[in-house]
Amino acid sequence: MTFLALTAAQAGLLAAITVALIIGLYLLKLRHRRVLISSSILWRRVLDEREWHSLWEKLRRIVSIVIAATIALLIAMSLARPEVESLTGKNERIVIVLDTSPTMNTNTSDGKTRWQHAAERAKSLLDSGGPTTEFRVLDTAEVTSSAFTTDRNEVRKLIDAMAPKSAEPQFPRVDGQLSQVYFISDGVAFHDTPSVVKRISVFEAANNVGITAFEIRSVPSTPLGYEAYLEVQNFGHPTEAGLTLSGPGGQRVNRTVRLATEQTYKEVFDLSQFVGGGIRATAQSKDDAFPMDDVAFAYLPIKRKTRTLLVTKGNRYLETALKLDNYVDLSLTDPANYRESPNLDAYIFDKFAPNVPPARPALIFGTPSASWLKPAEGEIQKPEITSWSENHPIMQYVSVHDVAIERAARIDAGNLTVVAASKQTPLIVVSEKPKWVMLTFNLESSDFPFHIGFPVFIENVLAWFNRDQFALKRSPGVVDVPLANAQIRTIDGKLVSSEQQLGKTIFLANEPGLFAGAQGDTRVHVAVNLANPRFSDINRSVFRTDRTAAREQFWLRRELWFYMLLAAAVLISIEWFTYHRRITL
Amino acid sequence: MNMSTANVTLFDDEFLKKLEYLNIISKRLFAGQLRAERRTRKRGTGLEFADYRAYVAGDDFRHLDWKAYLRLNRLILKLFEEEEDLRIYFFVDSSQSMSYGDPSKLDYARRVCAALSYIGLANLDRVNVISFANGIKSEMPPQRGKGRIFKIFRFLTEITPGGETNARASFKTYCTETRRRGLAVVISDMFDGNGFESALDILRHFRHDIFVIHIASHEEIDPMLRGELQLVDSENNVSREITITPSLLAAYRAEFSKYCEAIESYCGKYQLGYARTVTDFPFEELILKVFRQGRFLK
Repeated sequence: MTFLALTAAQAGLLAAITVALIIGLYLLKLRHRRVLISSSILWRRVLDEREWHSLWEKLRRIVSIVIAATIALLIAMSLARPEVESLTGKNERIVIVLDTSPTMNTNTSDGKTRWQHAAERAKSLLDSGGPTTEFRVLDTAEVTSSAFTTDRNEVRKLIDAMAPKSAEPQFPRVDGQLSQVYFISDGVAFHDTPSVVKRISVFEAANNVGITAFEIRSVPSTPLGYEAYLEVQNFGHPTEAGLTLSGPGGQRVNRTVRLATEQTYKEVFDLSQFVGGGIRATAQSKDDAFPMDDVAFAYLPIKRKTRTLLVTKGNRYLETALKLDNYVDLSLTDPANYRESPNLDAYIFDKFAPNVPPARPALIFGTPSASWLKPAEGEIQKPEITSWSENHPIMQYVSVHDVAIERAARIDAGNLTVVAASKQTPLIVVSEKPKWVMLTFNLESSDFPFHIGFPVFIENVLAWFNRDQFALKRSPGVVDVPLANAQIRTIDGKLVSSEQQLGKTIFLANEPGLFAGAQGDTRVHVAVNLANPRFSDINRSVFRTDRTAAREQFWLRRELWFYMLLAAAVLISIEWFTYHRRITL
Repeated sequence: MNMSTANVTLFDDEFLKKLEYLNIISKRLFAGQLRAERRTRKRGTGLEFADYRAYVAGDDFRHLDWKAYLRLNRLILKLFEEEEDLRIYFFVDSSQSMSYGDPSKLDYARRVCAALSYIGLANLDRVNVISFANGIKSEMPPQRGKGRIFKIFRFLTEITPGGETNARASFKTYCTETRRRGLAVVISDMFDGNGFESALDILRHFRHDIFVIHIASHEEIDPMLRGELQLVDSENNVSREITITPSLLAAYRAEFSKYCEAIESYCGKYQLGYARTVTDFPFEELILKVFRQGRFLK
């Protein structure tokens, strides 16, 4: 027997004091009240007769003291939280790590999922061990991480609230030295686990035909021409799969393909007949156990060129870059002939700015003098770009770290967004409302036009102004949209709850889907697809067999102190009953 | 000792008048020294015919039955009962145990003794009152005539409880000193460590007519005791620690009944008068009803 709350010496001392106290009190209690009677003749006869025949009369006092001492000892010792390993098991800590990777959603032959089996195994683990065994539950999505507790019901509720996540799974950090770690998984996402981890497998082989890649891309040879790339792989027995691409205008493309085991089918679909909007790809096959990868989404941009007016006295680099851009319908004018037109989508001002801001977004080179622009406060020679924001849409895929600038104007950015800057001055600033982008240096005084990122930058800026974009590609789980305070809706228009985080909007998407984030005039589409062969290969498990032996179960489900107090209560009841009937003293 | 009765009038005048008409019935006839209202076995000069016997020389001719002589031709003498006085001995237990109860058994015994003494005196009987415990504690000389009742009252009030009961020794001492037979009324709680049977045997041996008045208190019949107690015997201070349980109380009550039945059975066996009472039983009713039911008074 060990004690959880006291040392053995302290527990022994407590027991000794308790017994001594009880015996002392009992002796005090047994001091009889003196009563004078006329004659003891009859009492003597009665007592002699009873005591002669009754052994109980002789033992009564001893039994009473023993009962009282036992009650006191049970109560006192319960404070020390005793533990008998053979009755209640030893005090141990068990960490249950539940695999919440997407493959745990795989259906099994009994109609359940691997996750449901895992939850059942976890709960059966809770039934093992003794009442002092502490449990902790973790998942591989870093969402659930409980503290150690002996409250099994609490842990059960926690397990019931858990579900597979679509996020990239990661084995949590656990201390295998001080606790036993059980990992319940199908073994698909995790091939290596720490050696101290005991694995419990819920793997069962299953069929799956899944979409491993789906995207819409431009056709380089055709302006505003798009095509869809679909890749499907069979991870089960040879089967026939039906592939479907469907668009918002009712357009539909069907394929039926025969896939051998591990065979991959790839096809590029011409989307010239599709109107812009969400495109849905599905893969149907018999006995498919993993529905999550049977559907994928993409966004087909609405086909339209950006009508752009370049206002310049002459800039060969800029004109060439814009004329080569297939998505730009370019018009040219010099500053003297500048007129605002409602038929334009964007303006590009080269060392010029009108006195009033245009109604459409504008890209401005240099720091021209205009009331709606920040005035130049001097000039900086050879500014070095020291910081830039890669997250801003206009800077995506644009590298400016080696751009050399001869001179740039010094401005006070104020409330403008600085996306590139030197230590002395902002170099690229962005105004959200009205929407415009300004470079504080002239193209002639830098080598930016010679950089590979320059046309990308121009394309990004014009696209950010008003052009429809491809959907951002994200995996299921926590999805981020590079827009602050954006409103997220599904493709059906249903509002999705979202949160703000570091200038981004994040939301949770556990299933594949197409989402739209809108912030003012800016609209971004997000295609959430599993499209990951690592997850779709649901039979790639290393947990083929369950190597973990069943844990011992103990018939006492609570700590020993509970039963001691219960026994004390029962003894008190018996003592109360017998005392009032003078059976005991 | 409960001396509360010392200065208390034991009986009021109305009660004494009621007792005056009561008489003591003796179950046997006793020889007496003076004429009284009792018939004795001795044949004498009384008015009531008793028996015949053959004439012998020296008999009084006045008592010859001449009609019988004419019929039978034999001299037959008529015998008449002679009325004599009766000796009544009141043995009052004044051991320490008699001080128990509320009112105390001794007070109750005093009143019983006083009432019976008065009746005896009123009927011209000789009344002796003896206080005993483990011996004769005090004794009152024979009294006769109603006028001596106050002397008896005084004697009774001066009795104090104390000592252990030893009735056998007490009766033996008294009877060996006083040979004259009579009605021995024993008023006691009958708690005698040596047993009351042997004591009554002494009285029987000396051919006394015996009447036992057994006085008990409610505390003895149905003790209201609970818990862990040290019972102390009031007579010898011997103590005993016990735990009073309902079963123990029941056993005691059964033992008490058995004890009373044993005394009653003994008295019945030897045709002794026996009456049992409790101290809170109304005294007047006891005298007028219980004694009548017990054939003590007529």
